[in-house]
Amino acid sequence: MRSLGMFLFTIREAILRGTLIFYFVVATIVIAFFAFAIRVSPDDGKSLMILGNIIPSTLGKGITINPVEFVLLQFQKSSASFVVFFGIFAVAGLIPAMLEKGTVELFLSKPLSRTSLLLSRSLGATTGVILNMMYFVVGIWLIFGIKVGVWHWGFLLSTLVVALVFFLFFSIVALIGLITRSGGFSIMFSFIIYMLSGLLRYRTTSLYRLWDNTVFHRTLDSIYYAFPQVGEMLDNSALLIGTSPFDQLKSALVDQPSSPYLPFLYSFISATVIYALAIRYFSKEDF
Amino acid sequence: MPIVHTQQLTKIYRSGFVKRKEVAALKDVSISVERGEIFGLLGPNGAGKTTFVKILLSIVFPTKGQAEIFGQKLGALEIREKSGYLPENHRYPSFLTGLQTLQLFGQLHGLNGSVLNDKAKSLLELVGLKDWGKVKIKRYSKGMLQRLGLAQALMNDPEILFLDEPTDGVDPVGRKEIRDLLKDLRAKGTTIFLNSHMLSEVEAISDRVAILNKGEVLKIGTVADITSTKLEYEIQLDQIASGQLCEKIRPLVRELKGNEKTLIVAVHDKNDIHTVQDLIRQEGIFVESMSPRKSSLEDYFIQLIQSGEGK
Repeated sequence: MRSLGMFLFTIREAILRGTLIFYFVVATIVIAFFAFAIRVSPDDGKSLMILGNIIPSTLGKGITINPVEFVLLQFQKSSASFVVFFGIFAVAGLIPAMLEKGTVELFLSKPLSRTSLLLSRSLGATTGVILNMMYFVVGIWLIFGIKVGVWHWGFLLSTLVVALVFFLFFSIVALIGLITRSGGFSIMFSFIIYMLSGLLRYRTTSLYRLWDNTVFHRTLDSIYYAFPQVGEMLDNSALLIGTSPFDQLKSALVDQPSSPYLPFLYSFISATVIYALAIRYFSKEDF
Repeated sequence: MPIVHTQQLTKIYRSGFVKRKEVAALKDVSISVERGEIFGLLGPNGAGKTTFVKILLSIVFPTKGQAEIFGQKLGALEIREKSGYLPENHRYPSFLTGLQTLQLFGQLHGLNGSVLNDKAKSLLELVGLKDWGKVKIKRYSKGMLQRLGLAQALMNDPEILFLDEPTDGVDPVGRKEIRDLLKDLRAKGTTIFLNSHMLSEVEAISDRVAILNKGEVLKIGTVADITSTKLEYEIQLDQIASGQLCEKIRPLVRELKGNEKTLIVAVHDKNDIHTVQDLIRQEGIFVESMSPRKSSLEDYFIQLIQSGEGK
């Protein structure tokens, strides 16, 4: 019950932040756009039309696609990255806000362990972002269902995976927020790690060539596995919708793990270690 | 059995990576607070008062020493379940209303449903914010925020209430209301630990006080003990005391001060004051009045701190 109080308070605080209100407005505009732009072709009664143009079922060179799945897939991929990117912006300041002088004393003087306090705060911040994302995704899902007659459950399910990805990545935001006690630093370092993680994803085909040295290669590997693998997890969450023909091009550049679940496993371990470090730091610190 | 008991509590703050700098905020502080009393912790800014309270509530960890509250070692959740705390310079989320703020802190104490709502509303009324419950706290004045802070500290009906500068920014009428509220709480059995540099206020309501300076306890005792000046009397005469009279009195007393018709004498023994009176009468001077001297807590505090500075 005590942790729930902190959790609900954090969601409210996250939602009331200007960035998430802006995100809500943007999401509403996009939903409204889809509501007007999407329809089924009146000629054949089944082709998908966007702004009056039919989405073809082939992309040339003999590549066939399912138009609805293709649109949902592209939408999910771009919106998932947007959610993580924007979510960091929106809620990275929540941990430092809890640690502000005059506020932290109030929270720490309540009968709630520091572990519960930090985890309920992190979960609340993540949920605040996810609620906004759910609004966005469910809105699009309803439009496709009502106007095109396709109720794509995989599309909805992939949202839950994105939620998990955001919670795992938030471990870094939480740790940096605790150490620096600054929303600005927290955002900046989180983005650096986000970019670094994306860069290291292509290490075997690019960074390894910079220096043909085993120690250098293993160091890059260690850094890569030390942080949640956001890019891989987001890509794999899209598998719940379908396979994009563009993925074949990308697979030539990156190492493909033997199982799509492996990035989740590695990231889960990495996030657990980072959360544990954050809890330990928070539990030992004077305020 | 004391409700709060500390033994040689020490806190050293360390800073700097290359050149380690150490600041002792508390040095071997041993204090006991009895159940149901108002205990005032006095000291100038930076004396270590806030650090002491923060250690008791596990917001800051001690470097050395031990402490128990309700017989529990520091860090036990039970301590915070039974405690209320009003920090100095507290900040509440400005997007909440007064009522929502109390509901939030009530939830963190495990309250919910109608119990939570009723408690929050009754406390708003108690601190005089009944009509402000639905107003966002960013519109509150400093004094109103202080009252709200007091209400949040009372959400769990604490057995001990830690207040750090509770009347800071509150107008004189509000200060009196807070003092009366604290007296009511004491009457109901709540122990109150009051951190303040508003000496007159502490003097008005505290049963016992401790004076802290540079992290060290300089004095602990009841307000009456501290403010009474031992065997010191002020004697009003009907005429100016002669030098000859003063010379006769001086060997009998520890200290003799005065001007014109007023003599201030500090005697070794209570009976010596009769001898002094006899000597005055022998000189044909009439004693108009004689009263034991009492200094204010402020006088004592300043004297003690200044003597400490000179060490």
